[in-house]
Amino acid sequence: MIQFLLKGIIRDKSRSILPIIIIAIGVGLTVLLSGYLKGAFGDIIDQNARFETGHVKIMTQAYAENKDQVPNDLALLDASGWIDTLHNEIPQMQWVQRIKFGGLIDVPDKDGNTRAQGPATGMALDLFSGKSGENKRMNLESSLITGALPKKAGEAIIGHDFSEKLDLKIGDEITLFGSTMNGSMTFKTFEIKGTIKFGTSAMDKGALIIDLTDAQQMLDMENATGEILGFLKSGVYDQPEVDNISEEFNNEYKLATDEFSPEMFTLREQNNLASLLDYADVMSALFVFIFVLAMSIVLWNTGLLGGLRRYQEFGIRLALGESKGKIYRSMVLEAVLIGIIGSVLGTIIGIAITYYLQVVGIDISGYLNNSSMIMPTVLRSKITPSLFYIGFIPGVVAMVFGTMLAGIGIYKRETANLFNELEV
Amino acid sequence: MKTIKYILVMIVIVGSGFEVQAQNLTANEIINKVDDNMSSETQVVVSDMVIYGKRNKRTVTSKGYTRGKNDSFTEYLAPAREEGTKMLKLEDRLWIYSPSTDRTIQLSGHMLRQSVMGSDLSYEDMMEDRELTDIYEATIISEETIGDRNTWKLELIAKVDDVSYPKRTIWIDTERFVPLKEELFAKSGQLLKKVVMDDIKQVEGRWYPFKMNYKDVLKDGKGTDFIVKEIQFNVEIPEYIFTKASLKK
Amino acid sequence: MMKLAFQIAYKNLMGAGLRTWLNVAVLSFAFVIIIFFNGLMDGWNRQSRTDSIAWEYGHGHLQNDAYDPYDAFTLQDGHAEIPSKVKNVTPILVQQGNIYPEGRMMSVLLKGIDKEQGTIKIPTEAFTTSTAQFPAIIGNRMAEAAQLKVGDQVLLRWRDKNGTFDASNITIVDIFDTTVASVDSGQIWLPIETLWEMTGLHNHATLAIANSNYEHVPIEGWNFESQAEMLQNLDDIISMKKYSSSILYILLLAIALLAIFDTQVLSIFRRQKEIGTYIALGMTRLQVVRLFTVEGSMYSFLAMIVGCIYGIPLFIFLNAKGIGMPQASQEMGISLADRIYPIFGLQLIVGTILLVTISATIVSYLPARKIAKMNPVLALKGKLQ
Repeated sequence: MIQFLLKGIIRDKSRSILPIIIIAIGVGLTVLLSGYLKGAFGDIIDQNARFETGHVKIMTQAYAENKDQVPNDLALLDASGWIDTLHNEIPQMQWVQRIKFGGLIDVPDKDGNTRAQGPATGMALDLFSGKSGENKRMNLESSLITGALPKKAGEAIIGHDFSEKLDLKIGDEITLFGSTMNGSMTFKTFEIKGTIKFGTSAMDKGALIIDLTDAQQMLDMENATGEILGFLKSGVYDQPEVDNISEEFNNEYKLATDEFSPEMFTLREQNNLASLLDYADVMSALFVFIFVLAMSIVLWNTGLLGGLRRYQEFGIRLALGESKGKIYRSMVLEAVLIGIIGSVLGTIIGIAITYYLQVVGIDISGYLNNSSMIMPTVLRSKITPSLFYIGFIPGVVAMVFGTMLAGIGIYKRETANLFNELEV
Repeated sequence: MKTIKYILVMIVIVGSGFEVQAQNLTANEIINKVDDNMSSETQVVVSDMVIYGKRNKRTVTSKGYTRGKNDSFTEYLAPAREEGTKMLKLEDRLWIYSPSTDRTIQLSGHMLRQSVMGSDLSYEDMMEDRELTDIYEATIISEETIGDRNTWKLELIAKVDDVSYPKRTIWIDTERFVPLKEELFAKSGQLLKKVVMDDIKQVEGRWYPFKMNYKDVLKDGKGTDFIVKEIQFNVEIPEYIFTKASLKK
Repeated sequence: MMKLAFQIAYKNLMGAGLRTWLNVAVLSFAFVIIIFFNGLMDGWNRQSRTDSIAWEYGHGHLQNDAYDPYDAFTLQDGHAEIPSKVKNVTPILVQQGNIYPEGRMMSVLLKGIDKEQGTIKIPTEAFTTSTAQFPAIIGNRMAEAAQLKVGDQVLLRWRDKNGTFDASNITIVDIFDTTVASVDSGQIWLPIETLWEMTGLHNHATLAIANSNYEHVPIEGWNFESQAEMLQNLDDIISMKKYSSSILYILLLAIALLAIFDTQVLSIFRRQKEIGTYIALGMTRLQVVRLFTVEGSMYSFLAMIVGCIYGIPLFIFLNAKGIGMPQASQEMGISLADRIYPIFGLQLIVGTILLVTISATIVSYLPARKIAKMNPVLALKGKLQ
């Protein structure tokens, strides 16, 4: 039966092409909208994750309690051991170390005496290993105003406005004066390789970014780290999964007796993001609902159209003695097939475009007067597992429902009138 | 070491002009006696600074040269990280030299209010070099016993505006003329810091505290210990020590 | 003729019953949501601007030249007496201090502000009713970070102008709730007279917030940052959000138009006989095409009416009650209110109507073009496939 119907669908283009195209467009749009919503609502969350919270973040309990003061003396020791453990036990996430620190930048004159000074907000990232993905994650390369990223030890990038204030040029040397994790004085000379602008005044006017290894050496934090951030390799924040991961981790490693034992915090638990996440969920659910509703109406129409087009065909089939029930069932089954074909096609198209928007995005920076802001200027969508089935709901259900409604007409037809109609 | 020197200088040097009577001695006589006992033209001290962090304690060893009240030079000896770091103070200027970067950095303004090596002491605390008598008015308020030692309790009230601590209380041993305890107060009378001297020993005929604990009382923690390992009075210190050139040597 | 087309189109639509109304419903959704979203953005924009102005910017800041808001080291010297010729400003003195909640040390900014001021919304009236020696007002975020409640005391240590330490318990007399984190996090507000007394910096100010009567004339030693300059960053974020949401309603409009298109195809197919009849009765094909196009675009008129029926009360309701927004991280310098009151401007509504009507007409026209190519005889017989 299915084979027979499939043949009909393939051979009779008139009954298949239009509905399939419409379903595909509709399903594609639904998928795209849903993916775009995930991306759009994810903006702020994503921004937080990349710059600040990770999908999860591990700190010592003592560090977490005082994290506003950047208490590196409470840092997590045996960082590489923890990284290994994490790689082994939670392979679905990528783990990176970060160290935040404060210090005084001292710019020497030609005699080596102090020419200018300014307090810096330091951030140490894993730039050199090439495996951390931090460059891309923090958007470093594209935020550079001048120069390049650090390539080797002793190189740094600095906030663009900060560099202007200190009158620094690419290639200039600065001395960073700060205190180690133990409170000792520490000095390190860096060559300025680039200047960067994220669009937040606080960072542009005070940031210094160096490699993790430099910071560990300078701050006497060999094999210690302030924070370990975890990012799901899928790139998408998944609350239940992250909840599981952090619950297991904390059960095993967080010790009530040792304030220097690590604790894992999910993105949701940091920076008051919980309510924003809830809000994003509710809003996107609402949007998808309205959209699915609209889509269903469109496809219902399509189903009706399919039924009406073949008014005559059904008339003939009835006249030839086929039972009304059989015609109705075959019609519905055909709608199911068309619905599936259209939905699969639409889902593929929708996901393809979503994927394109996820990777490439729509760059709107050109439309903005002053495109220097930490908010992303590239609009992106996001592929989530739900995209793979969300389109099928309006695609198949609405199509079938439309056909079923249209098909009721079959039962209203009377054999006596059939020939009358067919004669026309 | 400069730090120790600073605290002691602050405590012992009080000039003349106090009329307050206390048994047989006036407050200024007491302080003059302490000064005679402990102060000298020059001083060379090797000391340990023990800093109690939240998870560990750390000992920093340094050798300090002091000339008069205004000039000092400190070289850090241990641990390895600090070795060769030098600090020079001339009058009201402070330079720090780091051998690893071969840079001399001048600290000024706000930076001076930061803590030294994670201790409870700030650079600014170390910079104060005026005589106590120039800044404070002293009074003996009572006699008290600390441990098995009899002490005079002296109250010092600032008579100038630009001091960090407008009021101090010092307990001075009545026989040995060594301070045993000091408390530093805010304008409002709130106790801010507490210094306790210990391990009083006689060296070159002077009584001298070989251990001190300096604590910020508003913060949790054990404060910072200063332990004198070697001390010499009135030794000849070459002039070049107190020049910027000596930092890079 | 046009009038006739409208009449016929109307009759046809009404005749089609349920399907018409479904299309109308979808299109009206698009209408309402486009207007809603834009209104939300405008409302957010206005709210952020209003809040930032109300809590922080005023009508601009007059800042001491030596003061850099992003360099705490400049606080020590970045203040002076404001020249007496400067009128209509609320001076703010900013100093540093430390508080010690439960033995922890926290660095804070002390901000002195006039008790009687009305330039920004910091609830300074709480100072006047308090009998505490050091009454302090803090924001929600600060209260949470330091775990303080109204009535709590906390030890504050500060230095006066000579660097002399002082310390005292301050009493929290009020906790305010603001969307503007930059007047809240890590800050303690005190009466400026108290801060002058505490620091000895009588009549000094780090900056001064202008009120609406302020007129700027250059003053030596002070620079003026206007309200517009301060709002620039916010405007950028809002326009970025607008672009972002425009994609949403483009998609939504697309689906609604698809519904119209689909319906047009369906009705042209179903009504071959009707089309044949029109032509047989003497209408030109172009007239029939116009009739069907009018019919399609009439969806947008009906959608407008339907949209108004449920949209207007909804908008009025939302405009009055606001839309709950989550309290999110404010780190990015955006003030996000917990309630946003959407604004539905005339320009927005007219613009949306034009957009929807024109695009609905275009998609109605596309399938209707087919009519021009029909063979009227076959059409009349209903035999077109």
